[in-house]
Amino acid sequence: MTLVPILLWSVLLLPATGAALSLVCPSVRTLLWTVRAGVVLTAAIALGCVWAVHDGSAVETAWSWLRLDALSAYHLAVMMLVFTLSSLYLPGYFGEEAKAGRFPRDRARRFGALWFGALAAMGLVLLSNNIGIMWVGIEATTLVTAFLICIHRTPASLEAMWKYLIICSVGVAFAFMGTLLAGAAAEHLHLEGAQMLLWSNLRENASRLDPALMKVAFLFLLVGYGTKAGLAPMHSWLPDAHSQAPGPVSALFSGFMLNASLYCIMRYLPLVDAATGHNGWGPRLVLLLGLVSIVVAAIFILFQTDLKRLLAYSSVEHMGIIAVGLGLGGPGILAALFHTLNHSLCKPMAFFAAGRLDQMYGTHDTARLSGCMRAAPLWGRALFGSLLAVIGVAPFAVFMSEFMILRAAAHNGAWWTLGIFLVGVGVVFIGVLRQAINIAWGEPVVAPKQEQAGPLDWVLAVAALGALLVLGLWFPESLADMLGRASNIVEGTP
Amino acid sequence: MNLSIDSVMLVLVVTNLLLLGLSQLRSCVHAVAVQGFALGLLPLLVRQSGPTAWTVMVVLVTIGLKGVVFPRLMLGALRDADVRREKRPAVGYTMSMVVGFIALAGAAWLSSRLPVFAGSPSTLAAPVSFFMIFVGLFIIVSRNHAVNQIVGYLVLENGVYVFGVVLLHELPLLVEMGVLLDAFAAVFVMGVAVYHINSEFDHLEVDQLDMLRG
Repeated sequence: MTLVPILLWSVLLLPATGAALSLVCPSVRTLLWTVRAGVVLTAAIALGCVWAVHDGSAVETAWSWLRLDALSAYHLAVMMLVFTLSSLYLPGYFGEEAKAGRFPRDRARRFGALWFGALAAMGLVLLSNNIGIMWVGIEATTLVTAFLICIHRTPASLEAMWKYLIICSVGVAFAFMGTLLAGAAAEHLHLEGAQMLLWSNLRENASRLDPALMKVAFLFLLVGYGTKAGLAPMHSWLPDAHSQAPGPVSALFSGFMLNASLYCIMRYLPLVDAATGHNGWGPRLVLLLGLVSIVVAAIFILFQTDLKRLLAYSSVEHMGIIAVGLGLGGPGILAALFHTLNHSLCKPMAFFAAGRLDQMYGTHDTARLSGCMRAAPLWGRALFGSLLAVIGVAPFAVFMSEFMILRAAAHNGAWWTLGIFLVGVGVVFIGVLRQAINIAWGEPVVAPKQEQAGPLDWVLAVAALGALLVLGLWFPESLADMLGRASNIVEGTP
Repeated sequence: MNLSIDSVMLVLVVTNLLLLGLSQLRSCVHAVAVQGFALGLLPLLVRQSGPTAWTVMVVLVTIGLKGVVFPRLMLGALRDADVRREKRPAVGYTMSMVVGFIALAGAAWLSSRLPVFAGSPSTLAAPVSFFMIFVGLFIIVSRNHAVNQIVGYLVLENGVYVFGVVLLHELPLLVEMGVLLDAFAAVFVMGVAVYHINSEFDHLEVDQLDMLRG
């Protein structure tokens, strides 16, 4: 057991070291190698940590300020998956950028440092037991990733960065107010100093927290972390940031940054639910935000002509779907967590393809990309495949998790939720499919550059989409156990 | 003890109302600097047990950042951009003041609805904190100049800080430091963003950043 604390520390310190190393890399090539090696190594260590708690136990270290339980272990695994996929995709993408002279050494160094920095910050969010430090992690994520949006400094990317920075900073300040109020709700328990903000302590005394203060706290937290998670109506930064950031960065944003923020909401759900005497007030709010997100995203997707904005609104929709699952409780939470994995597998893949097609066509306007399946055998197919997966075509796993959420809604007798969910997801299905068919088989409008696809790119695409297919057909028992234990934590059952 | 805390609260409210009525950007920055200074003293006034080395350090760092470093950064940005005043605020200054007074009343009502904090050294802290959060938000949405938006963000941050220091006197100082560091990083990052926006667009009017829509 003494090894695991060291592993936990390594998950945080290794990326920090990587960030420092990136700043002194002698060439773009070595930098891309450093990033790949650093991320894969961190992933291996993280896997060790996840394994250590696979029996449902929790590991604590650093005076209980760092803690890994089933919920954080599951998110840690998803995060490392997204980071590993994205880091393996980097050389292909930035190789092309470098050829076009748009990725000089200084820019590459900055990118590497920020990439590692984002990994360390998100790791801190997941591993913190102290809700104050968890907040510091989210805030750090915002600041680090702001510069990733405008790696290529254009007027549009600066505009996107400014909106991201202001809207998310305000959101995150709200989340901090919520964190303090949650601490205030525990003040009459007379916990000592730092003990007051430890999640595990709050969890133990959840039913004795002050209900009025906890309610106000949860409102602030939901608006604050919800902003960063891209839940409507606080999502306005998201399409701009996702469409202007380079492909791998958008993949990271959609694939995990949004989830890191939802994870924080998941941590507070059992607290507010127990404090309010399990009257379902907290989950109902989350459910409502989820439904609003699905509807808003559906409306915007229907009229979207920019591929990356389309994918961004689809992320708003999927965060909404996860929120709906969380709000439904019980089997819905398990489905929501499963949906997290599925979305984090297919959305980065879609952004990978969009990024490479952008390089070939010089645009992400859907009309101009038409007929790309012929011009780009790999990335065209990868895009089409991942779009199908994103909208939940059976037998991809996204379909399975959406079906599980529907079943949970039917089980609860939540017919309004079920109806709105079906209509929203149906509209998105039609809206995206219409575009996807045109993108894949339409008459070509522009003559693109030659597609460059290495063997690693093929492996990436086949592995991600293949995994989604397999998960759609076969739900492994070990995954079910892991999801069950994680969802117990969100639900507040010991 | 209470009198000194309450006079700090008074300074905070007055600077907020000033911020709502001032059109000169430099004066706005000065007002937020005064606010940072007053705010920085709070940890010293709150602790009855006498100042520890940690408290003194937090006070020095807070005053240094919120009273000196941030304002200097913003004044520098204003000098570079060569602007004096907010040209077209979305809400006029008189109207802003009216909104401010309504917000003050709203904040008092809201905090009267919340349970009284046991052993809280000041009954004014909760309403003032909510008031500052609202004013910060209002400045961000109603002003178009990038520097003014940073000022709004700082007021919002300050509001949260008041809440944390006065009402949660048990707040671990390490978390306090982390928060300060974050505020510093945020303002620094915003400062860099302002620099780039200024050199790319040749102005800092945020409402004219409207390329991305839909």
